[in-house]
Amino acid sequence: MKILFLIIIFFQITHVNADEIYNLLKIPNLEVYKFKNDNNIRYLNSKKNFKIGVNDNISCNKSYPKNLSNKFPIIQKNINFYNSTFLNKINLRYIVLCEDLFVSKINTGGIPDTEKRTLILDINFNVKYFERMIHHEIFHMIQKSNTEIFDESRFSSFNDVNFKYAECSTCSDRLNLDLYNDTNGFLTEYSKSIASEDMAEIFSFLMTDKINIEALIKKDKILEKKVTFIKSGILKIDKNIL
Amino acid sequence: MIKAIKASKSEKVLFIFLVVLAIFTFSSFYILKNKCLFVEKVNLDKINFPNPENVVVMNIECGDVIIELFPDISPQSVKRFKILIENKKYDGSAFYKVVEKTFVQAGDIEFGNIDNLDYSKIGSGKSGLGILKSEISDEFNFIAGSVGLARSTKFDTEDSEFFITLKEIPIYQGEYTPIGKVIYGLDILSKIKIGNKGIYVLRPDYINTLRILRSN
Repeated sequence: MKILFLIIIFFQITHVNADEIYNLLKIPNLEVYKFKNDNNIRYLNSKKNFKIGVNDNISCNKSYPKNLSNKFPIIQKNINFYNSTFLNKINLRYIVLCEDLFVSKINTGGIPDTEKRTLILDINFNVKYFERMIHHEIFHMIQKSNTEIFDESRFSSFNDVNFKYAECSTCSDRLNLDLYNDTNGFLTEYSKSIASEDMAEIFSFLMTDKINIEALIKKDKILEKKVTFIKSGILKIDKNIL
Repeated sequence: MIKAIKASKSEKVLFIFLVVLAIFTFSSFYILKNKCLFVEKVNLDKINFPNPENVVVMNIECGDVIIELFPDISPQSVKRFKILIENKKYDGSAFYKVVEKTFVQAGDIEFGNIDNLDYSKIGSGKSGLGILKSEISDEFNFIAGSVGLARSTKFDTEDSEFFITLKEIPIYQGEYTPIGKVIYGLDILSKIKIGNKGIYVLRPDYINTLRILRSN
């Protein structure tokens, strides 16, 4: 009886702005920003701040119209690189746009969720890396939906035998996103965090700076193997992406 | 001898005012309490349904809601829905998830029956018939009165729960299996009790009976 009482109290206290979008995606305070798009992506906008996840560890603020109208064309241009068939295969249907996205108090550019087919994007993310960040997060969805193709242990074997990735992407201080002049197997410092981030960094550079990457791999055998691995993996899913 | 005292004009006015006030108070109380008062009732005998085997009658507190099923769009889902109706599994099923002017949801047979409401598990109940594959139609628009099978966040997890939209919800297009549409009684559905603050309803309204109009 006490438990039932607590449950009833819980439902009364923990109210969210429940609506049809919340019912579908379990993210409150969203509204449709752009519904009909050639690749069937649906853009949603955060009209109020929201918190989700275990112990509300994911938070993001409402997006301001002026900021949104500035960033949206950039986002749409980059998402339009992907066709609807490919997006279906990687389980991406909804892009949630909000400002200042945090996971466990760590600022992040995006949070992919293949189960809910949603990618939350921080439209305030550093402009310098913004476009690349979009493709980086999309790669995480690609990998999650194709774990056999993008096998991490196989990818890791391309590295020098003495190299070790960190335990997790946020457990290291290897966070810089700038492109190395001397790559030595890795495009950025963040590539050295974990294998999936290394793959995502390569994919994001291939989507935004392919010519430069093609030039870099000519003098970096490890990087060449990694790039070939990513390109052949993507080719198995869709012939028109890279 | 008792001398009759004649009421003054102002006393008569005051008396009439009090009587009118009392009538107004009692009638307002009755009207406010009775949410079903202005709901139009449907007379099933006066309507000719071309396919009565695909028409179901859901009786709830304020009257009958008539739903036409779409076996051509979602054959397996409609078949499941009809099996559960024939076995009277939806009788007593609570509208435990209701968003005002948006949608109502019922059909948790295991944990959402009015005789056995379990708020810690509601929404996760099973029918015992197994889960269904989603029968998604990208062409189907969820307009006011559309009936769809509910699912978890994943596709192909439909079972017995269903929802009815109270307004057009374009974002549900290609997301949920459509099984039918309300042809009479949308205003009755709008009278279903909503949650005070959240999506879940305490002491919810429920389905009295759900029957196929005429079985083959």
